[in-house]
Amino acid sequence: MVGIVPEGAPTLVVGGKRIDGRAFDELRPIRMEVGVLNRADGSAYLEWGRNKVMVGVYGPRECIPRHEADPFRAVLHIGYSMAAFSSMEERNRPGPNRRAREISKVMRHAFENVVLLEQFPKTAIDVRCEILQSDGGTRCSAITATALALADAGIPMRDLVTSVAVGKAGGELMTDLGKEEDNFGEADMPLAFSMRTREILLLQQDGLLTKEEIQKMIRMGFDAAAKIRKMQVEALRRKYK
Amino acid sequence: MRELIVPGEMIAESPEQSKGTFIEAGKTYSAVLGLYDSETNRLIPLKGAYIPQADEFVIGVVEEARFSSYNIDIGSVYKGYLSAKEVREDLKVGDVVAARVSLVDEVRNVDLTEPRLLSGGEVIAIPAVKVPRVIGKEGSMLKMLEQATGCQILVGKNGRIWISGQKPDLAVTAVLKIEREAHTSGLTDRMKAFLEKGGA
Amino acid sequence: MAVIDEVVKDYIVGLAASGKRKDERSAMQFRPFTVEKNPIPNAEGSALVKLGKTSIMIGVKVDPCVPFPDRPDEGVLSTNAELVLFASPTYEAGPPNENSIELARVVDRAIRSANAIDVKSLLIEPGKAWGVYIDLYVLDADGNLFDAACLGATAALQGCRIPKWEDGKVIRTEAARTLELALKPITCTFIKIGGKIFLDPNEDEEKAAEGTLTIATTEDRICAMQKSGKAGFTEAEIGELMDIALDKSRELRKAI
Repeated sequence: MVGIVPEGAPTLVVGGKRIDGRAFDELRPIRMEVGVLNRADGSAYLEWGRNKVMVGVYGPRECIPRHEADPFRAVLHIGYSMAAFSSMEERNRPGPNRRAREISKVMRHAFENVVLLEQFPKTAIDVRCEILQSDGGTRCSAITATALALADAGIPMRDLVTSVAVGKAGGELMTDLGKEEDNFGEADMPLAFSMRTREILLLQQDGLLTKEEIQKMIRMGFDAAAKIRKMQVEALRRKYK
Repeated sequence: MRELIVPGEMIAESPEQSKGTFIEAGKTYSAVLGLYDSETNRLIPLKGAYIPQADEFVIGVVEEARFSSYNIDIGSVYKGYLSAKEVREDLKVGDVVAARVSLVDEVRNVDLTEPRLLSGGEVIAIPAVKVPRVIGKEGSMLKMLEQATGCQILVGKNGRIWISGQKPDLAVTAVLKIEREAHTSGLTDRMKAFLEKGGA
Repeated sequence: MAVIDEVVKDYIVGLAASGKRKDERSAMQFRPFTVEKNPIPNAEGSALVKLGKTSIMIGVKVDPCVPFPDRPDEGVLSTNAELVLFASPTYEAGPPNENSIELARVVDRAIRSANAIDVKSLLIEPGKAWGVYIDLYVLDADGNLFDAACLGATAALQGCRIPKWEDGKVIRTEAARTLELALKPITCTFIKIGGKIFLDPNEDEEKAAEGTLTIATTEDRICAMQKSGKAGFTEAEIGELMDIALDKSRELRKAI
């Protein structure tokens, strides 16, 4: 993904359209459902293109391990994990690998911004995101679903968190990269926002981009996130009609 | 039509202290899923863990009996602490007690006082946020439940409810129905009809 | 909340003495169940099983592997269980605990003993074979993970795609063939409470159980059994339960 197109790579932009026919600012179809697990305090299931994510929230509950407990605030544990059978290619060895642990960490930081942790000293809020099927953009799916699951659990937050990735492929800036665009494109930038305050809570980037490209991509990210946040609110409202 | 309020949604342009909200730059926002009550100008949270507050009436179960104190499970991640001095007769693990929260400190140690042993009857648990619906405006829903079931119904602020009397099964079914439909309108009328039909 | 567990347990034990159950099922009645086939198209085989409030996602991946040295002409079958954190407050994260290990091994044994898969047909060439990896992901737990998991594993294996092997490469976009199970193993799990026996326990019943017996059957034979818990079972009881298992497993097998 550094601008050198490998042999056999698909053509990513044809006639002004993307490989799956989408416009540059078009999202893949997204489906959200809240409160799907009986035993979790809060949960959500989300499909984003071919991605399928299940999130469960437990807490506030006793902090395990005990020595991690904070006398002044809740500890937020976020575990992002890809199921062994989630990939189209080979099976993943179960258990968090380095990539999963990094994603867990940046996700945790994003939510630590909005969750009112001080309301539950000495406890833990445990979040598990299981990627049941992956097809590019799983961390954005996981974050968007986690916000729903936390709300479903009644965990107090300053805002929902909404996530989307913007990237560059086939020379064009585009929203919500699919798997091939991610694998063979020039750059990828996952983002997460608190739409209420317009703050960026998660920002990662790889590839070569100019400053102007990045600024444009951030604006594209906000536009897409506005649509996604509407869907989050609708999903919550549908649950509690 | 009461629309569901989501976390981060503004509910007042001025600072108002109430459960389930937070104040930022002088404005009040909801922190949880809830409904807006235009009469009292408050948020009614639909979801949220129970956090004990001083002076609240709670119902709990004795979890641990030590030499000079008891740990009481009050349906919160924070346990209640009851000094043995407060109790006339020794309590044992599994006993159901009604009590008042006397103090909650900054690290959420919860002290209980005025304990009363509740014998017989049964205890059910509903989310604490649904308790106001079970009690109703000025206790009207609770009164209706007690009359229709011939039961004494003690409702703890923590969502634990003790039921004892003639038709406890009907009372339990009725309370669980209120819990399921707490966020809907017309509930009082529906409950009246439900109880008149003996729970159909 | 352990004390509440004791209160519920007493209630369940009280009901059990007269053969009754809290959800008003009869003693040998399965909870309502559903099997969704192929919910995860990325996997070569998959199934989502809901049994009461227990919910398990089973995925099967077929990857090339090296056969075991003592079985050089056979493919490899491997089963793993993940008790996903959110399944229940009592399950802890971390390395596989004895519950997830037992679950995986019992399901594995049922499938292996039934010779459900012809492992010789999984050989690609000398030194290379297909490995069939079954992963049981428990999403929501309300008792009797065994029966839900075995039903799901069998459902996921039936019709599972075997990728194409061409010039030393795996082509997943085309299936060379699909697995047809010779026999479809199904388990029936029984618990004992105060001498009375019940089929398909929910989690409250499991906590009150003194002993458990899981019986795996094919159409007309028993292919695996597992007993756990303190209580013993008599010879007569085991005989009776085998008959019930052979009969009741047909209900579940129909869903595949």
